[in-house]
Amino acid sequence: MRAIGVAFLLSLATLSLCAQGVMVAPHVVFISHAQRSGSVLLYNPGTQPVEVTISTIFGYPVTDSTGAIRLDTLAADSSVSALAWIQAFPRRLTVGPRERQTIRLLARPPAALADGEYWLRLVIAAQAGRVPITGVADTTAIQIGLTLEVRTIIGVNYRKGAVHTGVSLSTLRAQVVGDSLITRARIERQGNAAFIGTIRETLVDSTGAVRAQQLGDSLVMTYESPVGVYLTMEPRLASALAKPGLPRGRYWLRYEVVAEREDLDPKLVLPAPAARDSVQVIVP
Amino acid sequence: MARRQRMQIPLPALSYGRPTRDMKRESFLVIGALLLGAPLGAQGRPLTVTGIRGVTFGAVLPGVPRVILRTDPANSGQIDMRGPRGPVLLTFVLPIQMTGPAGALMPITFGASDAGFSANQTIGSQVGFDPKQPFTATLPPNGRASVFLGATASPTPNQRAGAYTATIILTVTVL
Repeated sequence: MRAIGVAFLLSLATLSLCAQGVMVAPHVVFISHAQRSGSVLLYNPGTQPVEVTISTIFGYPVTDSTGAIRLDTLAADSSVSALAWIQAFPRRLTVGPRERQTIRLLARPPAALADGEYWLRLVIAAQAGRVPITGVADTTAIQIGLTLEVRTIIGVNYRKGAVHTGVSLSTLRAQVVGDSLITRARIERQGNAAFIGTIRETLVDSTGAVRAQQLGDSLVMTYESPVGVYLTMEPRLASALAKPGLPRGRYWLRYEVVAEREDLDPKLVLPAPAARDSVQVIVP
Repeated sequence: MARRQRMQIPLPALSYGRPTRDMKRESFLVIGALLLGAPLGAQGRPLTVTGIRGVTFGAVLPGVPRVILRTDPANSGQIDMRGPRGPVLLTFVLPIQMTGPAGALMPITFGASDAGFSANQTIGSQVGFDPKQPFTATLPPNGRASVFLGATASPTPNQRAGAYTATIILTVTVL
């Protein structure tokens, strides 16, 4: 079954790609203390070899003053860093056309490592091929060629012993700006592991009816956004209101943070009680 | 049965040259990891970042700046992304000049709205952003999106003829 799964992933990747790049799977790696190892699959769907360089950094998502999510790579809390004792092999490789290769992650944690979760980030740099120099084949002409390099950074979470997580919610606020619903809330992680989950927002009118929100070309009754809370975040979310917008009046925003992720195996998502809050939204 | 399937995954090349004691030890660790490793693909969806085309300037004349808009369907740079729905952080490392023959240099600049994110992969539907600043984008439910990039090359009136090159780096961080 696993072979079929990998073949399916590879066949998906080959459908649309004719340019240079590598497929990285999975997009987050969880390593248990019992296994002390993990792996990442690289696949080159292109027609030219791709040179890949692997490196590791320490970092986790935070939010800035505007609510935008950033990757904090400063070792502000090195006690949760696995950078010193998780290594990736090989560090440099060439992935041939239509070939796959595996990056191995090996953990050598310190003997006295406390129970909890430890993090690092894997940087996969792919030399995506040189764009041909364009212009007239004339030695008196000026020609320009740009090389494009893409780097993919994925999370690696190492779990030892009893790990538990949860979140607390505070300072929820929401407002309608134009055709969008803008929300922010302070989400503080609890426990000793990152909270990997989803934020759900539901807008309810004064009669208790749920008002739809726009997601692409579709209408949804609940807007969802995946989130990873490693320490504390205050993310700004913007969702589109269904056209033609909301009539004047009072509404309630129901905001909940749940330990569910549709893109991850449920066995890898640590269970945690949902955190809920609501706030009134006034459309003048 | 499952263990035998794991052994079918080829071992990556560890190194070149004569093996040392440390390398042999690492080989054992790698083999151990191979035997005990978690199933591939079971931990989440794959992520693919693909450079479709670089910024294409075409013929450049001395003293005449060449502007490529991010909405230019033929000449703008394009990077396609495919992955799990959710937030990703886009960070560019951009050159300020290109290197040419005999060390000659040519300035290249990127404006505050020279990058664009398209959640439906169409060049006509972009959210512009400053490529010199990190930008948080959200991959849509189908997991597919594109980034477009424009730039301006500014050859001097006495710009030396020849080929000029530079490297653009885009980092996509899964948040």
